[in-house]
Formats: sequence, C-alpha cells, structure tokens
Amino acid sequence: MAAHHVLYFTSEEHLLYRSSRGTLELDTKFAADEAGVDAFREYLRGRRGALFAIVADVAGEDFHEDQIPFLRGADREAVVQRRLAQRYRDTRLAAALSLGHVTTPERRNERLLLASFTNTNQVAPWLDALEDSDARLAGVYSVPLLAPALVSRLGHRAGRSFVVTMHRAGLRQCFVEDGKLRFARLERAVDLAPQALAAFARSETLRLAQYLMTLRALPRDGGPVAVLVVAPQGQRAVFERALTSDARLVFTTIETNEAVRKVGLRQLPAETGAEGLYLHLAARKAPREQFASRDDRRRYTIWQLQRGVLAAGAIGLAACGLYAGGKWLDALDLYGRAQAQAREARTAADQYARITAAFPVTQTSSDNLKVTVLEFQRIVAGSPLPESALIHVSRVLERFPQFELDRINWSVGRPDEQAKPAAAVPADAKPAAQGESAVRLEISGRVNATQRDDYRAITAQVQRFAGALAVSGYQLARTQLPFDITSEGTLTGDIRGAGADSGEAPRFTVVLLRRLQ
Amino acid sequence: MNFSRDELKRLMLPLIAAAAMLAAGVATIWSANGSLRAARATLAAAQQERTQNAERLARIAEEEREVKEKLDVYQQLKNLNVLGEERRLEWADALARIRTQRELLDLRYRVERQKLLHSATGKPANVDFFASTMRVELALLHEEDLTRFLADLRASGNAYYSIKRCTLERTTQQATGLTITPRLRAECVIDLITIVDGAAKT
Repeated sequence: MAAHHVLYFTSEEHLLYRSSRGTLELDTKFAADEAGVDAFREYLRGRRGALFAIVADVAGEDFHEDQIPFLRGADREAVVQRRLAQRYRDTRLAAALSLGHVTTPERRNERLLLASFTNTNQVAPWLDALEDSDARLAGVYSVPLLAPALVSRLGHRAGRSFVVTMHRAGLRQCFVEDGKLRFARLERAVDLAPQALAAFARSETLRLAQYLMTLRALPRDGGPVAVLVVAPQGQRAVFERALTSDARLVFTTIETNEAVRKVGLRQLPAETGAEGLYLHLAARKAPREQFASRDDRRRYTIWQLQRGVLAAGAIGLAACGLYAGGKWLDALDLYGRAQAQAREARTAADQYARITAAFPVTQTSSDNLKVTVLEFQRIVAGSPLPESALIHVSRVLERFPQFELDRINWSVGRPDEQAKPAAAVPADAKPAAQGESAVRLEISGRVNATQRDDYRAITAQVQRFAGALAVSGYQLARTQLPFDITSEGTLTGDIRGAGADSGEAPRFTVVLLRRLQ
Repeated sequence: MNFSRDELKRLMLPLIAAAAMLAAGVATIWSANGSLRAARATLAAAQQERTQNAERLARIAEEEREVKEKLDVYQQLKNLNVLGEERRLEWADALARIRTQRELLDLRYRVERQKLLHSATGKPANVDFFASTMRVELALLHEEDLTRFLADLRASGNAYYSIKRCTLERTTQQATGLTITPRLRAECVIDLITIVDGAAKT
C-alpha cells in the first residue's frame, strides 16, 4: 500500500504527516509563510509522484446552506458551480455538499451545504508547490468535511450529534446530522488546564447549540443532541465531571486512545492531538467531498485510473484462474475416475489371462483359432457336394424311364448370376439376397416313347419330370421344351403320316436352383 | 474526461499489463479446457476398456467351450495339411494315385496360380485363406466314377476341396468292343483351399 502524505494546515504552522498501514508519523513541520512554502518545495523535490492530501484546520471556514433545482449530471454540476461562484470570490477551494432533497410546492429541490475558506490565499501557494513538483494531490479537506466519518467511527451513525475534539489549532466543534455535515467552528484554546478545558468545551458546546437554534439549524423541540467529546488521554474523569448532560445535550466522553482504536489507527504520534484522528481518516478513509478542483487532482485521478486498470486486469486474471481452477479440479476428478476404471480393466484382464492360461494348449492364439475355424466353416457352408444332387436326379429318373439324360451341369454361385430369365420360373420365387449362393443344376436330355409331334404329351411329361425334380429344396428355375409354346416365340410343326417320324427323340432342358443356408 | 498525450503514455503500461493478465487468464482457461477434454477422452477410453474386459471375462466360460470345440476342427485342419503352405506335389501324387486305384480311363488337370481368397483379421496376426483353382477332365465308364473320384480327392487331404462346377455328359464315341470306350465325360472346377495362420506356432 502506497504511503500517503498528509499536510495538516493550521494558521500558525503546517505539519506534514506520513500515513502507512495504520500508522501516522509526523515527518516534518513548515512555517506558515513564504519560507515554509520554499521549504515545502524543497521537501517535494525528489518525491515525484508521491501521494498528498491537505487537511485544513483553520477558523476561517464558511458554511452556507442553499437549494438548487433537482438536477443530475452536467446540468447539476453547472448549477453548483454557478452557486459557488455567486457565494465565493475564489472557487478554487470551494465545495458543495449534498444534504438531500426537499420537495417544495413548486418543485423538487436539492439542499446543498456550500463550504469554502474565507482566505484561500493561504492554501494556494502550497497547492502550487504540489502542482509544480508533480506530486499527486488526493484532495484538500477541512476537518469538518471529515467529521461525519469520525462520528460514524465513534458509533453514532444517525441523528444529530456534535463531535468536540481538542486540536493543536484549538477546540474543534462539528455539527453532523444523519451523517451529513451541517456546521463547524474552531475556537482557540491555548494551554488550558484539564478542568478549564473541560469547562471550556462545555460552555462552547452550549454556545454552539444556542447559535444553531438561532439559525434554526437545530430545532428547539428536536430532542436531546448527542455530544461526542474526545478528551485528551487520562482526562476522561475530569471531562465527565464537567460535561453534565441536560435536556438539550447528552455528553459522551471518549478518551483519545479509544477513539484512535475506533478509527483504525495504531497510535497517535507525539505532539499530536485529536487532529490525528482526522488526518488518519483523510489518508485512509477520505470522503468524496473535498475542496480541490478537478484540475488540481488530475494526476491523482490518472494514478487511480492506472491502479484501477491494473486491478481490473488482476481481478480478470484471478477470475479466469478461479474458473480454470474449477475446470482443472474437474479434470483431476475425471483422471482419478479414469485411473480407477483402468485399474478395474487391468484387474479384469489379469483375471482373464489367469483363467485362459488354464485353457487347452493351442498352437495359435485364441482369436486366430476362432477366426480360422469360423471362416473355414463359412467356406464349407458355401461349398456343397455335387453327389447329393446327382443322387436326387437319379432317384427321380427311376420314376421316369422314358427320360434319358445327356448332360448334367452342377455349379455353385450367386443365384442371380445363374438363373437366366425363363418362363418356367415360379412367380412366387424370392429374389436373391446379397451374398446368398445357390446350387444350380442344369439337366439336358430326351423324352423317348412319345410321338415327336405330340406337343401336348411332351409338354405334360417334361413338366411332370421337372415337377418331380423341384422338391427337397430344389426350385424350378427354367424349363426348356423342344418347341416354343410361349406367345413371344414361334411355334412350328411338321405333321406327317404314320411311320413318317424321323426317330429322334425331343430334347429338353430343366434348370433347378437350391439356395444354400 | 480527455487525456493528454503524457497521460495516455502513463496509462499505456497499466493497460498493457492488464491486457497481458487477461490474456494469461484466457490462456489458463483454454489450457484448463484442453485438460478437461483430454481427461474426458481418457475416462471414455478407460471406461470402454473396462467394459470390454468385463464382458470378455463374463463370457469366459462360453469362450472356453468355444475354444475346445474349435480346437478339434483346427487340429483336423492341421492334420489334413489344410493349414499351412499349399503342397502341389502332394496334389499331383494324389491325383495320379486315384487314377491308378480307380482305373480311370483318362484324367487331365490344370491347377491355376494361387490367389488370396480372404484375409480374416486375427490377433496377433491375420489368417489368410488362399485358393488354387483346378480344372479336371475325366473320362468315365460310369457316373459313380465321378463321385468316387471326388470322395478320394477329399480324403487325400493337403487342401480343402471346394467344388465350384461339375459337368457330366455322354460321349458321342461308339463302343468298338476292342477297347474300353468311355461312355461319359466329366469336367470339374475345384478350388483347392489352404489356410495360412500368421499366429500359428511351428
């Protein structure tokens, strides 16, 4: 975390503190004159880019409540700047604090507390020195601007309250209402004894309350107001005795060390009063409201942008890392499951190997054994023997003595390759499936003891013979008669007298198919 | 807010660093996604292997029975010399022996070049089925001569005889009475199939 330098600005002298990791150290002091500015310039040399904040604790601070129409964005900014310019001669160190909204019969308005220093010239040279040194100005605050943050830290977040603190510059009183600054004043109180200081705090608080009632900033019948008094260390009892509560003011005394702890500071530096609480808040928990202009804070804004961009990149990287981490965890889980599966697979394989080791000894691998036999059996199934076909034909032929065979052609192959188109193919014959094979049996012969010109008798005999063959799985694929009796063919005849027959018996061909399983 | 050139220069380095961090983040996610995909693939492969091994283990009793059954057939094939390189000399011897024994009048044959019939995928090596086509012409006195010839051929072993075609027809030769005249002629096409098992132990 970068160290913040806080310049505590009083009318007598200016003290430079360094805030880092919950500690506040007094670095150096500067006189509130030209020499002090020169010393400050000298100090800034070699601290290029350092972070600075100015906390002014001066008496000449003006607070004025005003109202503007309810606006947003650039319009509001323009109206606010106009109101500041109307109120203050020099607006370089002027701020408008929003006090919320109010609805009038005419319109909705925003309440503003306009604040500035009556003499900005005392701060301007120091701002110029910072500007010239290339330091980064986080903001110019007054103690009252930081009072709401202190009140909140001290545990009073709502309602009206006074916070009274003893500073190097004097007795500081701030009036905070519902977390918003309403008024503040600084009264000089030099070297007072504890009892006197406590009495002084009480009388000044009563005066302030009376004044605010006069201004109607504090309603008369608004109930008691909490007064938080930060007493110097070891003076709590004295303060509690002096600060007696009444119907209007309820005093609560807090010792400095307790307040230090509540704001998150480890300890106050030596020679530093309760202003250290405000300085710490300016360094670490600075409010948005401050006096410096946008131009005075430009380098700080750029620095914030740089850090913002880097933070965005880091957040993006972290988010990606988280997402990727989730994925990697998933992947690790999957790898774990895969290893478990692989172990189970190995166990099963080992078990299989152990069992198969007890199998009968083979001269080849189990896979090859199976492949060889299965493929061989497939070949055998597609290789029928011709003997059974010849026996089948022989048995049928015994029942048809008038038939004499000249040629038997037995073959194996695809049925669609073997079966030729023929009139005798049965209409209900199934088409051959892909890869099917069949036995084809082509039988050629002659029909004896029948008159050659008796077409009807020859046809009937051949068909009976073919029908007798087409059993036991054989299907009639084709029958070729000695003559063509189809409508597509030509029928010829040579009808002669008795004894005129040439003697040559009519020839026929029968084709049979038997599909293999 | 408008930026001067100097301010832009000041913002450039953080912007580059942020972009680098985001790029590193994206690369991390990409790498994680790759790891996840690889893990899924590994798991799928392991699951498949486990399932296969478990199924194979579950079928082991059936496999044992199958091995025993097939081993008999395999052994027969080996004994008949169907398994192994083809033996053409043995084929020629067998044909000559059958002709003599069966007193066949005429027997002519021609064995074509060996060709690969089928290569079955085995483990660790393939099993190749080869076929050598043989054309045989026979002069026969009776049709039973053909069936006896085929039976003798099958019994001779040295190959599996897959008969593709057989034609049996009467001869036109007239019997003279002086010599024995064949009454039938047969012509057959037979595939002589041999098997080469790449994993067979010699």
